[in-house]
Amino acid sequence: MHLHKYEKIWLIFGVGSLLLFLTIIGFGAFYKGLQPQSHMMTIDPENVEAYDAFKQENLGVTKVNDQKYIVNVVATAFNFDLGKNEDGTPLKEIRIPKGATVLFQVTTKDVVHGFSIAGTNVNMMVEPGYISSYETKLDKYGEFTLLCNEYCGLGHHLMSTKVEVY
Amino acid sequence: MSDLPKKNKHSSLQKEDPNLRGTLISVLLLGTFIAVSWFGVFAIFVSR
Repeated sequence: MHLHKYEKIWLIFGVGSLLLFLTIIGFGAFYKGLQPQSHMMTIDPENVEAYDAFKQENLGVTKVNDQKYIVNVVATAFNFDLGKNEDGTPLKEIRIPKGATVLFQVTTKDVVHGFSIAGTNVNMMVEPGYISSYETKLDKYGEFTLLCNEYCGLGHHLMSTKVEVY
Repeated sequence: MSDLPKKNKHSSLQKEDPNLRGTLISVLLLGTFIAVSWFGVFAIFVSR
């Protein structure tokens, strides 16, 4: 088969980039252990409280130790449920110390929602029937916005919460 | 005039490569653009 000299150049370029990208994906998946955020973890969307993490008293920020925090959230139209404080008022903000490792575990009871903390890598799709989780280290001080980035209905634009890294 | 058919015969046996310089340059420009933007986004992801 006759190939033009230039054709060989762009075939090498194309096949080379394919191999490079496959290597990067393989490195992320098998060495770094990256996985899709809703990773085979299923839940009954009509009874999320059957799952320990989403019981009303376990919602919101839980401190495991100084360096490790867990944040459990149930997303519903059009609110991120972060649990209630002692006097029963719903919590409206997440506070995490800088440098701590945070595990976000999120599910939804109704429709597909987004869970995105703008300016960080926390960005998940939350689907009914699945638990989406993402572990990250928040190492920038400041106030961030947690928002829904999947159109979920008429109140979609109202669905946001403050995240403070102190 | 009489050697015209001869010439045609000759060129069909030893086809000259078409000039693909412009194609090469545009393919490489597009490929470089895609690769540079991909690595830019990847760098943002890794640094956050």
